[in-house]
Amino acid sequence: MSSKRGQHVVPTDAGWSVKQAGAARASSVHSTQAQAIASATKIARSQNTEVYIHGRDGRIRERNSHGRAPYPPKG
Amino acid sequence: MPPSFDRSVFVNCPFDEEYSPLLQAIAFSITDLGFFPRLAPENADSSANRLDRIAELIRSSKYAVHDLSRSKSVAAGEYVRMNMPFELGIDHGSRLFGSGKLSNKAILILEYYPYDYQKALSDISGWDICSHQGDHLKAVRHVSTWLMRQAGAPRIGATRILGHYSDFQEWYWERELAAGASEEDIKAYPTVQMVEAMREWVDAGRPV
Repeated sequence: MSSKRGQHVVPTDAGWSVKQAGAARASSVHSTQAQAIASATKIARSQNTEVYIHGRDGRIRERNSHGRAPYPPKG
Repeated sequence: MPPSFDRSVFVNCPFDEEYSPLLQAIAFSITDLGFFPRLAPENADSSANRLDRIAELIRSSKYAVHDLSRSKSVAAGEYVRMNMPFELGIDHGSRLFGSGKLSNKAILILEYYPYDYQKALSDISGWDICSHQGDHLKAVRHVSTWLMRQAGAPRIGATRILGHYSDFQEWYWERELAAGASEEDIKAYPTVQMVEAMREWVDAGRPV
């Protein structure tokens, strides 16, 4: 199980937010998903944790590991 | 042991892949607010027939969310889904003619676009009816606001519930990956299995 909190790229009314698991608020909001993924990836690399990219429907569609990766993505 | 009548929310909606993101978000908001979503596929291996099982869920749930967004066909020759309005009718009938606690049942109607119901089921004019337009953010707002007003659910903003939803999904993915599932396995899990995990996550103290 996770020991560090992942970064989530989630859809909101204002665009795409980057939010750390457990945080009350988003750390940043972006107009495109690509910008949000870049921001989340930068944070995840510095913290050796994961990025969880959610689809417009709110569900996780992709998980990218940046560090500990006990269950790295395939490919 | 089944959840209590006062904490049970019957969810009457399509159970197909297209609708599953909405169903999962609705089920999570119900669970996060301390209630129990009750779904028709529960105990699917039961010897009881489907309608008997649905009737029992209706009888044992004080609250209900009925999604009528499939009341409009989208292609020529396509049949509309009649199950949802039929089950809404059973629920309303139990409230109308039932005795004791059944007379206190409360119903929320979800539709796709505002006022769709006026074209498909105008008899329910004046009820609690909200449109989600296929957007899980709107669906969570409607269901959570309604549960706060009708059922005394704790006042938690929809944005916080959605934050909990992403926390839960991380926990769920990591747990299942640790158990040997692939990402594709997790995406293919049935909604009922995910709903059970939502309860486990809440009962475990909402770990992050």
